[in-house]
Amino acid sequence: MSTKSSSHAGDRTVSLNAEGTVSADAVRLLALGCVLVLTASYVSVLYGITQVVGGSGSLFALVGLMLLAATVLARLIRPRTAGLLALTAAGLGFAYYLTSAGVEPGVVLTGTNAIVSDTVALATGLPVLRMVQAGVWTLGFAPAPVFLSWYLAIRGRYGLSVVPGGAALGFLVLTGDAGTLVTLTGTLAAVGAVAGGELERRGGSIAQADLLAVLFAVIVALSLSVTIVPGEPAGPTHLVQGDSGTLEATIDSAPQRSGISGQVDLSPEVRFTVESDRPSYWRTGVYDRFTGDEWVRTGQDRRYDGRLADPPSSSGTVRQTVTAETELGIMPVAPQPLALDGDVTRATTVSRHDQPRPETPLQEGDSYAVESAVVDPDPDALRIAGTSYPDEVTDHYLQTPEDTSSEFRERTDEITADADTPHGTAVAIRDHLRSSKGYSLDVSQPAGNVAEGFLLEMDEGYCVYFATTMTQMLREAGVPARYVTGYTTGQQVDDGEYVVRGLDAHSWVEVYFPGHGWVQFDPTPGSSRADVHTDRLQEARENGTEGVDTEDSEDVPIGDESDPVDPPASDPDDSNEPPSDDPTDETDPSDDPDDGSDPDDSNNGTDPGDSGDGTGGEATGNDDSLTDRLVAIGHETAALGLVLLVGLAAGARRTDATTRLGRTVGVYWHGFRGEPDRDARRAFRRLERLFARQYRPRRPSESPRSYLQAISKTAAAEESLDPRAERVLEHYERATYGDGVGRAEADEAIEIVDELARSRLPVVGRLR
Amino acid sequence: MTDASPTPKRSSDSTGEDTLQVSTVERLCADIEANVSRVIVGHDEVIEHVITAVLGRGHVLLDDVPGVGKTMLARAIARSVDCTFSRVQFTPDLLPSDVTGVNVFNQKTREFDFQSGPIFGNIVLGDEINRAPPKTQAALLEAMEEGQVTTDGTTRDLPTPFTVIATQNAVEPNRTYDLPFAELDRFMKKLHLGYPDPDEEAELLGRTVGDHPIESLESVTDRETLVAARETVSRVQVAEPVRKYATRLAAYTRENAHIGVSPRGTISLLRAAQARAVANGRDYVIPDDLQVEAPVVMSHRIKTTGHDRDGASVVENALEHVAVE
Repeated sequence: MSTKSSSHAGDRTVSLNAEGTVSADAVRLLALGCVLVLTASYVSVLYGITQVVGGSGSLFALVGLMLLAATVLARLIRPRTAGLLALTAAGLGFAYYLTSAGVEPGVVLTGTNAIVSDTVALATGLPVLRMVQAGVWTLGFAPAPVFLSWYLAIRGRYGLSVVPGGAALGFLVLTGDAGTLVTLTGTLAAVGAVAGGELERRGGSIAQADLLAVLFAVIVALSLSVTIVPGEPAGPTHLVQGDSGTLEATIDSAPQRSGISGQVDLSPEVRFTVESDRPSYWRTGVYDRFTGDEWVRTGQDRRYDGRLADPPSSSGTVRQTVTAETELGIMPVAPQPLALDGDVTRATTVSRHDQPRPETPLQEGDSYAVESAVVDPDPDALRIAGTSYPDEVTDHYLQTPEDTSSEFRERTDEITADADTPHGTAVAIRDHLRSSKGYSLDVSQPAGNVAEGFLLEMDEGYCVYFATTMTQMLREAGVPARYVTGYTTGQQVDDGEYVVRGLDAHSWVEVYFPGHGWVQFDPTPGSSRADVHTDRLQEARENGTEGVDTEDSEDVPIGDESDPVDPPASDPDDSNEPPSDDPTDETDPSDDPDDGSDPDDSNNGTDPGDSGDGTGGEATGNDDSLTDRLVAIGHETAALGLVLLVGLAAGARRTDATTRLGRTVGVYWHGFRGEPDRDARRAFRRLERLFARQYRPRRPSESPRSYLQAISKTAAAEESLDPRAERVLEHYERATYGDGVGRAEADEAIEIVDELARSRLPVVGRLR
Repeated sequence: MTDASPTPKRSSDSTGEDTLQVSTVERLCADIEANVSRVIVGHDEVIEHVITAVLGRGHVLLDDVPGVGKTMLARAIARSVDCTFSRVQFTPDLLPSDVTGVNVFNQKTREFDFQSGPIFGNIVLGDEINRAPPKTQAALLEAMEEGQVTTDGTTRDLPTPFTVIATQNAVEPNRTYDLPFAELDRFMKKLHLGYPDPDEEAELLGRTVGDHPIESLESVTDRETLVAARETVSRVQVAEPVRKYATRLAAYTRENAHIGVSPRGTISLLRAAQARAVANGRDYVIPDDLQVEAPVVMSHRIKTTGHDRDGASVVENALEHVAVE
């Protein structure tokens, strides 16, 4: 046994001397590859951002340029110069960002506080996507770390080169943009680069990379069991009390973003009541940036200072008083709010889109008054509104993810082919969605771009899907639009009093018209949504769920719930017929059921066909998501298992466990026969192991023959050594030192050892 | 020893030189050993070493106190082989020409005739070699190394086989000329006889009653057989692991002594091991052969600085620490 390992050691030193250069090259390649992977990890995060806001081409060009420059300059300039260059690049990038964000470059020098506070905001979890100029920021951020880390790597300073790359990745982790996988990959690459550098410096061989594999496995296992990467909170923080998995929990998952998920539930609990002159949708959030699977609000919030921006025109104002019936992290208002009143307004922030939000959640009973402008122009007026959008609007409300497919574009073109005004486009898209897609809460979220998935593949969805898709289609067609979330009017319990429940959570679209401002459009088919929601409320009432009703709402029939779909405020023509919210006069078929916002409708809603569909959909939905989940778990587990396996294998190699196991097994089993010489040698090795266990291992300096003689002396006291061992030794010697043995001799040796081993087997040996 | 003169089977191989089968040489060795043992009691190992040295084309230096049978051993070996044997008694006044021979003017032919010295023999016993001055020692050692002798510009080959068995006295160091370190290297082995143990000595005394047995010793082989046997030995296979083991041993001595074993020493070690392999009936060398030969082949080639260690202990350490493979 010991001979084997010592000969191993000998081999290793010999091969080291002989292949030292080859090994060094491999180590160098490993280290350089790791630096590249590290670079790729944070560039991929930046790419994810440019995918959403545009500029991927520029980003790649810039990164490529930096890599090239670093490669060329690595041999030409000294580290200090390179560091200065990188600093300059970072400074220039930052200045460029500030300039394009509308800040004077001079501020860079004077307004240090602003920069510091911005940086702190980013580093404490403000996602880069929330920045108004995220694309420019990305282009400004990328060059310095890419250049510096590659420059250092090329110069062989691997450890140092990890610093700028790691800092860049670390920053993106702090902003919450780098996910677990990217962070893990980057970290592993950083460890790999440092290790590669160390190996090269200390003249280690690539064979020692197995230690690295063990390290990697430990890192992976630890990072999967302890998740502290800020980008992936353990669960969504709900702004509204309620179970996760409800529609409103999805919509309002975080202050700055609105998620999209698959199947959702409806919570029947009452959220707030509104006293208002007019029914309206109650808006709680406005989002302008679409990432493909969620909506993000860009820009900084500001403290409410008494007045919000006026829309360009309005047809009057409406005053509401909103009373929270539960803890509420949102502030529902009828669009477009002009002024707020009440105690809570002292601690209210206002987003860039003039949507208020309480700084601390409202408590039950808190109330506030809102004065809103009713933006409800005549369809004719909208038709002639033209397309002279302000730059500020086109800059932010025409964004689509870069990877939006041409298919989506073509379909949009097809649908809007007949429309010749932005208003016509909006109506065409809304009507198309209403007529071609069904309403269902039991859907599984499509992979990739949700708008694309809904338009091209899915048959049914709920408000989030309808509104998202419409917004994206409008933007594709060149019409500025944004995605808004909130609640529908709710149940009218008295004249001008509305009870709004969790199941009234909704999302819709606002389209910009020059001279008018933001006008609401709701692409979700109203009647089927009302049916589903009414059913849910009835079910909850029957089950006796608490918090479903206020004192007033109990006695009022549900059917009276004034059409949850259509904001009556936006209906210019028939203010006493709430359902037809259309700014146009057209009444498309899908509008018709809306008219029946009376008890009949709820009956319709409960007809067998519908519920059958519903349950069917639910079942399949569940199945799908279960399968999906299983597949997802399968992939993850397989990947984790693979990593752990590699780590185990490397660890086993490190500790020679496999060799040891092989030796243990080898004592009893010769293995496949090969060359006679090899077999004879192997037979003796097995014999040696056998004797090593019984007597003592052979010392390295002991020749096989003297070993056998020595142990036969000690053995003589107990039981004499099997004389056939001598034969094995002779064959071994002839095979190793002489002119080799024949098949017969080799077989004889194997046979003898087989027999000796068997007679010494712990169990079988006793039986004999 | 009734079948004392075996008729060895001879085989010819491609080189045309006569070789013997390994088993034949093995038996030959056993015969010689048995023959010598009739005279020398005990010291079987030393006898074997001398025989393997002769077969391995080496020369032997017997180093011991007087009276333990050094000369007797040399004579017994020589007598066992039917070949020319000569003996040189080294004294302080011995001249080189007394060893190599001189040109003598022949009155009849009016020419110089070469009167060959005692060195022209198959087995030469150099008795008490350290009593002669270095100049005379050098004459012998040069002959040992080169296998030829040059006198007055004429070079004469020494007979084949040519083996020198030299003895040296370990006592009276002030009356001796120690062999220079470089010349010690020319002896394949340096052997010590040591005193016999009491039983052996008793037997020894019994044998010397009456005629000394050396006088009745008969040869068991002849010169031609010996030459063929040496040829056989020189063809014994030395596999690479063995060669590497030899170099590792040598390297160890070089690292752990002032002067370690020279490449000539390593060659000698392998030759001795080859002879040892044949003596044990093998046509290939195993590490054990090296381990048996290393102490006698290597020790006298090592120069140590410390007083606590000598060549023998260095070799002992080497065998203990150097991995076999």
